[in-house]
Amino acid sequence: MEYRTVLTTCTYCGCGCGLYLEVMDGRLVGTIPCKTNPVNEGKLCVKGWNVHEFVQSPKRLTRPLLRKNRELTPVSWDEALDFTAARLREIKEAHGSDSIAFLASAKVTNEENYLIQKFARAAVGTNNVDHCARL
Amino acid sequence: MDDKIKMKVQELLQSGKIKGFLGLRERHGQVGPYLFTDGDDLEGLVVGDRFKPGDSRYPLNKQLMKITRGDPSGCYGVLVRGCDERGLKTLFGSGQIKSEQVVPVGIACPQDLADACECLKPYPDERVAGEAAEPRSFATVAKVEAMELDERFRLWLAEFSKCIKCYGCRNICPMCYCSECTLENKDFGDIGSLPAENPVFHLTRAIHMAGRCIDCGLCNEVCPADIPLRTLYKKIADIVEEEFHCRPGYGSPETPPGLNIRGEELKH
Amino acid sequence: MQYPPNLRVVRVMCSGMVSPDLILRVLSKGADGVLVVGCHLGECHYLEGNLMAAKRVAMLKKLLAFSGIDPGRLRVDWLSSAEAPTFVRVATEFIEEIRALGPSPLRVKA
Repeated sequence: MEYRTVLTTCTYCGCGCGLYLEVMDGRLVGTIPCKTNPVNEGKLCVKGWNVHEFVQSPKRLTRPLLRKNRELTPVSWDEALDFTAARLREIKEAHGSDSIAFLASAKVTNEENYLIQKFARAAVGTNNVDHCARL
Repeated sequence: MDDKIKMKVQELLQSGKIKGFLGLRERHGQVGPYLFTDGDDLEGLVVGDRFKPGDSRYPLNKQLMKITRGDPSGCYGVLVRGCDERGLKTLFGSGQIKSEQVVPVGIACPQDLADACECLKPYPDERVAGEAAEPRSFATVAKVEAMELDERFRLWLAEFSKCIKCYGCRNICPMCYCSECTLENKDFGDIGSLPAENPVFHLTRAIHMAGRCIDCGLCNEVCPADIPLRTLYKKIADIVEEEFHCRPGYGSPETPPGLNIRGEELKH
Repeated sequence: MQYPPNLRVVRVMCSGMVSPDLILRVLSKGADGVLVVGCHLGECHYLEGNLMAAKRVAMLKKLLAFSGIDPGRLRVDWLSSAEAPTFVRVATEFIEEIRALGPSPLRVKA
């Protein structure tokens, strides 16, 4: 039996509460708020308290899905990216850049979020960028 | 204080008596719970008095419960204060942890902390470090009791209305070990709706603390809305003492709380 | 012989299964008072059900008082099923007590 605690930051919103994840034999089993963290001072909200649950959720998407004949079907990354690029170009040409918006996620890294806003502004030409952590 | 604990833990780990020591470690600028398994590497072991006494206490018993369940044959050391020891005794009594799986390493709380906690016993029976501080009585409870009935109702209503229903008080509580919780049962409350039913949500939790609450005060510390839950649970402990003539954690670990009520003289 | 019509009877197997959660739930849902009636002490079919009820009600009464709700809104009494006139008297008395206390503060707070 192996048990350890890992200091990390809550990914649910922009506050960035510090917390410890309890790891037991390679599985996350619990969340403990970090008492000394100056952001949350040992407190968490209901989302933060359950942050260990989504990581191992069987509902997580692990591969790209494309809706074909009204049904989501697993496809390769190449196919998914080609389809997305083609449709984005079509929409941009037909309705203009501002008809497209980009939603980023709190559960990816800062660098990935930088990339998506760069893509939105430089490649597509819109400022319509939003984020689930913009509380 | 840290050095005495370190020496004791090192001795325990090197003798092979315990497989690990659940304590606190300061690392990356933060203090958090950590399971030490190597007697030669106790770097960062602290007792949780960082900037002021007891500012980084954690529900170590709750984690110990997980560890001993994951490894039912192993024996583990754990850092205990007076409240943690009371918790351990109660958990032994209710069969949540086996006493032969635990080696407590006790520290006494400084007087400042005992005052702030209004602790009835700010030290464990067996301690490795620290001087036993003077116990304090429940002044916060007396203050509420001095109020008129409707004044008390308004006070608690105002306090409970701040609740954001994070369930933190239950999640941090080292004595909350039920696998199914009444607070998440749709027959007993409107789960998933905000605000929490006032005052019944908190009164339900309070009545469930009867015979369990060992007055560690972690619920108070974890509450994002600063609801004085500890005062409510202190009162519940008082009520249990009046009704059952025992206070959870203060007796010997072998005698579980006096729940055998048959034959007892009833006052009603 | 009639008991007051504003009393809603909920039958349970034993007063020992009336958990404080249920009483709190009822108060939260707008009841002005709760009357718990069990068998005579010492005559429990399940040996100690009503003794448990006695302790639970006593504890809940004290908690209610501490949180500012009149403990008179909760009453416990011991009756056998052969004592209909006593039940009527207890129920009428209780309803009168509650009427004197007025509507529950949990109901009028909003």
